[in-house]
Amino acid sequence: MSEENFKKILLALGIALTALFCLGPFAYMMLTAFSRYPDFLLPDQPYSATLENFRIIVFSESVHFLEYLRNSIVISAVSSVVAVGLASPAAYAIARLPLPGKAAILFGTLGVSMFPPISLISYLFKLMSALNWINTYMALILPYVAWTMPISLWILVSYFSQVPRELDQSARIDGAGRLQILIKIILPVSAPGVYSTALLAFIFAFNEFIFALMLTIDASARTIPVGIALFEGLHGQIPWGQIMAAAAVASLPVVLATLVFQRRIVQGLTRGAVKE
Amino acid sequence: MMNLIPFPCGIRIRLIRWSVGPWPLARPLTHFRKPANGHTGQPTNLHAVLKAACICLALVSLAACSEPPAREVVFAVGGAPAELDFWETLADDFEKESGIPLRILRRPADTDQQRQSLVISLKAQMSDPDVFLMDIAWIGLFSAAEWLMPLEDIDTAPFFKTVIEKVDRPAGQLLALPVYMDAGILYYRKDLLDAYGGESAPRTWSALAETARRIQPAERKTNGDFYGFVWTGAQYEGLVTAFMEFAGTRGGFVVEDGQIRLNVPANVRAMRFMRDLIRKFKITPPNAYTGMKEEDVRMYFQRGDALYERNWPYAWPLHQSRDSAVRDKTGVSPIPAPEAGQSASTLGGFHIGVSRFTDVKAEALQFVKFVTSYNNQKRMVMQLGWNPGRQDLYDDPDILKQAPHFKALGEVFRSARPRPLVPYYTQISAIAQQHINSVLAGNAAPQEALAAADREIRAVLSRYAIENGSK
Amino acid sequence: MDLNSNRKTKLAARTGLDRIADILQIERESLTAFMFLVPLFVFLAVLIFIPVLGTFWDSLTRDVAFLPKKFIGTANYRALIADAAFWQSVRFTLLFVFVSVPLEVLMGLAIALVLNETFPGRGFLRAAVLIPWAIPAAVSGRVFELIYHYSYGAANYLVRILDLSEGPVNWLGTDLGSFAGVVLADAWKTTPFAALILLAGLSSINPDLYKQAQIDRANFLQRFLYVTIPLLKPVLVVTLLFRTVMALRVFDVIYVLTGGGPGGATTPLSLFAYRYFSSADFGYGAAASVLLFVCALLLSVLYVKAGRFQESLQ
Repeated sequence: MSEENFKKILLALGIALTALFCLGPFAYMMLTAFSRYPDFLLPDQPYSATLENFRIIVFSESVHFLEYLRNSIVISAVSSVVAVGLASPAAYAIARLPLPGKAAILFGTLGVSMFPPISLISYLFKLMSALNWINTYMALILPYVAWTMPISLWILVSYFSQVPRELDQSARIDGAGRLQILIKIILPVSAPGVYSTALLAFIFAFNEFIFALMLTIDASARTIPVGIALFEGLHGQIPWGQIMAAAAVASLPVVLATLVFQRRIVQGLTRGAVKE
Repeated sequence: MMNLIPFPCGIRIRLIRWSVGPWPLARPLTHFRKPANGHTGQPTNLHAVLKAACICLALVSLAACSEPPAREVVFAVGGAPAELDFWETLADDFEKESGIPLRILRRPADTDQQRQSLVISLKAQMSDPDVFLMDIAWIGLFSAAEWLMPLEDIDTAPFFKTVIEKVDRPAGQLLALPVYMDAGILYYRKDLLDAYGGESAPRTWSALAETARRIQPAERKTNGDFYGFVWTGAQYEGLVTAFMEFAGTRGGFVVEDGQIRLNVPANVRAMRFMRDLIRKFKITPPNAYTGMKEEDVRMYFQRGDALYERNWPYAWPLHQSRDSAVRDKTGVSPIPAPEAGQSASTLGGFHIGVSRFTDVKAEALQFVKFVTSYNNQKRMVMQLGWNPGRQDLYDDPDILKQAPHFKALGEVFRSARPRPLVPYYTQISAIAQQHINSVLAGNAAPQEALAAADREIRAVLSRYAIENGSK
Repeated sequence: MDLNSNRKTKLAARTGLDRIADILQIERESLTAFMFLVPLFVFLAVLIFIPVLGTFWDSLTRDVAFLPKKFIGTANYRALIADAAFWQSVRFTLLFVFVSVPLEVLMGLAIALVLNETFPGRGFLRAAVLIPWAIPAAVSGRVFELIYHYSYGAANYLVRILDLSEGPVNWLGTDLGSFAGVVLADAWKTTPFAALILLAGLSSINPDLYKQAQIDRANFLQRFLYVTIPLLKPVLVVTLLFRTVMALRVFDVIYVLTGGGPGGATTPLSLFAYRYFSSADFGYGAAASVLLFVCALLLSVLYVKAGRFQESLQ
C-alpha cells in the first residue's frame, strides 16, 4: 500500500475515532434528555422522544433549575467582567511600563493559579462566614476573580505586547494619561484578546465546582454544576432523563459560546497557554 | 520588550493596522485635544476611573443583594420525594394557621449529604436554616458543637421517655424532639411465600437466605431481574444501619472501657454473610454495594423484582399505593436474628431542632410545636407510615385500623438499638462504611477489614481525646 | 497651538502622584505601573495567599466542631502518616495522575495530528473537539455515571451487543473498573485541552522541514519521529507538567461519579480532605490539603521552570 493511501486511511480512522470519542457521550446525553424512559438501550424498550424532561426541569419550582442557571450566569458574567477589568491595567503595566521583576510577577501569578483549591477552601470558608457572605454571590465572585486573574493576565499581556508602540506614543504626545491610553486605544485594538479572556473567564467560572459546593448552601446562590451533581428529582429513582435534560440546558450557554467563538478561544488558550 | 509570542510578529501588526482602521485612532487624538483650558489629562483620568468603578460596584452590588422577607422561618428537610411533598403541604397549613411565612429548603434523600449541608451552615453560623431535621446519628455532634438552641416551653410527657432522656436531653437541656422513629423492618412477598411452600416470615438470617435461594431460580424463569433479597449496601450511613442488623445484639458497635470496637466475632460473621449474599449466593443484586440506597431498594421491591426487602417503615404506604406492583402482597416482620444473639433493629429516626443562630426564635419554636403536635404527627403516620415519637399515638384507633401491624412494631421499636451517641460518631461511621463496603466489593477479608477499622477508630479517638482531662 | 499649550500645562502641573514618585525616587511611570498592579496583588493576596497560609495554620490546630480549638503542632500530620486511609488515597492519587496524564497527552497528540491535516469538515471537527472541554466537569461526571449504569447504561449496552461478558458488568463496583471509569471520564473532559495546545505547537512547526525530510527520503514514521517529536518536545513537556499539576487536584468528576468508592478505592486527596471538612473536622482536613498543596507547589515550580526554559528557547 502506498504511503499516500496509508496516510489517508489513518487520517480517516483518526477523524472517525476523534468524532466518536468527543461526541459520543454528548450524543448519549442528548438522546437521554429527549427520551421518555432512560432505559431505552435495553433490548425491549423502544425509544420514545418527548419534551417532558425539559418541561419538568424548567417549570418545576422545587427543582430550582432556573434559579441555578440564573445564579451561574450572573456570577460568571460578573466574575469575568471584573477579572478582565482588573487584569487589563496590570497587563498594560507589564506590557508597556517600566517595572522591575516583570518575569517574576508573570510566573509568580502562574504558580499561584496552580494551587489546589482544596488547600485554601477551608480558610476561605471561614473568611466568608466571618463576612457573613456564605451562600451569596459575593462568596463565589471574589474567588473566581482571583482565580482567573493569572490566566487573564497572561493572555492580555501577550495581546497587549502586540499593539504597536506608535499608538501609545502619539497619544502620549497629545497629553493622554496611561489609563486613558489603556481604555481608549489598547483595549479597542486588542478587542479579540479581551473577548477571548472574558470568554475563558466566563467558562471557567461557569464550570467551577468545589468552591460552589462548599461556599453555597441552597438555590439562592448555588450554581449549575453543583445543582446537577446533587440533582435528585421528584420521583423515586434517580431521574436520568431530567438530569440529562438539565445537563443539556446547562451546557448550552457554554457550548454555544464555545462554538461561536471557538477561534477566539483557541487563540486565547494557545496564546496564554502555550506557556502552560 | 519581552516577546512572548511564538507567532510571527509582523503579520499581527499588519492585521491590527488593517482591522483598526481610521476610527479608533482618530477619536482618541481629537479627544485629547479637547481640554484647551489648561487642564491636564489627570481629571479625565479620574473621571474615567470613577465611572468604571461605579459600574463595577453597581454590578457587584446588584449581584450581592437579595433580601429575604422578614421573620420568615426557614426549614431544611430531606428525604424521599413523597415525604418532601408532605412537608410542603404541612408548611402551607402552618402558614395558614399561624400567618408566619415558612420556606422549605429541600435537601437530598441521602442522609450524609443532608448532614454535609447542615454542617456547613452551622459551622458558618448562618441564621438560615432556622429549623431542621436531624438524623438521630448526628445529634451527638450537633449538641456537643453547641449548634442547637434549647427548646423552651415544651411538654415532653407525650414523647418516648427513653429517647428524650438519652438522645434529646444530653446535658439537661432539651435540644431536640423526635419527629419520627425508625427501626429497620423486613418486608416480604406474602404471595410468593405462600405459592412456594406456605412458609412464614423468616426468623433467622440463615432461614431467609435458604428460602431466597430456593425461590429465586424458580421466579427467574418468568422474571429475569428477580433477586431474593434487596438491602442498602452503598457506602453511606444506611450501610451501617443494615450491618448492625445483620450482626444482631452481640455485634455492631461494641463499647467497652470507653473504647468502640468493631472486630468481634458476631461482626465478622455478619460481614461474611453480607458478602456471600452478593457474591456467593447471588441473591442480592451485584450493584447493591455501589448504588443501592433506600429509594433504590424500595423501587426494586415495589416493581415486584424482590422477595425480601430490608428497609424503613416509610416504604409501607408506598408499597400499598395504587400503582404499586406489590399492593396487598406485602407482609412486614421484625428483622431476623443472626445465629448467635438476638434480632436487633437499628434505631433510626429524625428529630427536629432549632439552630442556635436563628433570627426568628419565637416563630421557630412555634413551628416545632406545630410539627410535634398530636394531629400533625397522626397525619405523618397515616400518610407516610412513620412511627411517631409521641407515645400517645400508638393507641389511636384510626391508626390501628389502617396499619394493624403498628402496635406490634411498637414493640420492635422499643427494643431497637441506637448507634453510639458520641459527638464523633460521623467519623466512626465513615470508617465503618468504608471498610464494610470494601469487604462487599471483594477487596478485603472481613477480619482484616474490621481490624483495620478498629485501628482507625482508635486513631480518631486519640486525636480527639488528646489529654482527656484538659479538654 | 493646542498641542503646545497642552504639553506645557502637562509639564507645568505636578500632581500628588508626581510628588509621591519623587519621594520614593522612582519614575512616575513606575508608580503608575505599580498602581495598575495593585488590584491584582490585592485579590491574589487576600483570596489566595491568605487562605493558603490560614489553612496551613489550621492544620497545626485541633479544629473540630465539638471541641475547643487548640494548637497541637504537628499532631495532625503524625496522625495522617499513620492513617491507612490517607495512604490509600495517596496511592490512588499518584496512580491516577501517572496513568491519566500520559493517556490524555497521547490521545491529545493523536487528535492534534488529525486536526493538523486539512480535510473537509475540519472546522466542524475542531468545534466538536471543544465540546467535552466546555461541559462542566460535574455534568460530565453524571453523564458517565449514566454510561456506567448497571442496568441500562451505554457501557453495558456495548458489552451486551458485543457479547463481551455474561451479564452486565458492575463497572463502578470493582477496583479496576472504577479506576478505569474514573480515568476515562476525566480523560474525556481534559483531552481536548491537551489537543489544542499540542495543535498550536504542531502548527508552528515550519512545513519546509517536512518537505526537506521528504526530499531526504524519510518515510511517514520517520518524519514523525525525527521531525515532529523533537520540535514538539518543549510543548509536550510543558503540557505534561501542566496536566500533572491539574490532575493532582482532581475532585469534581470523582465526587459525582463514584463518591470515592467502592470502599474508598477511588478517593483522591482532595476528596479525602473534603470528607473531613464536611464532618466539621477542619484541622485534619487542612493537614491533608497542605500536603497536597506541597506536592502541587513542587510540581508547579518545575512547570514554571520548564515554561521559562521553553521561552528562552524561542
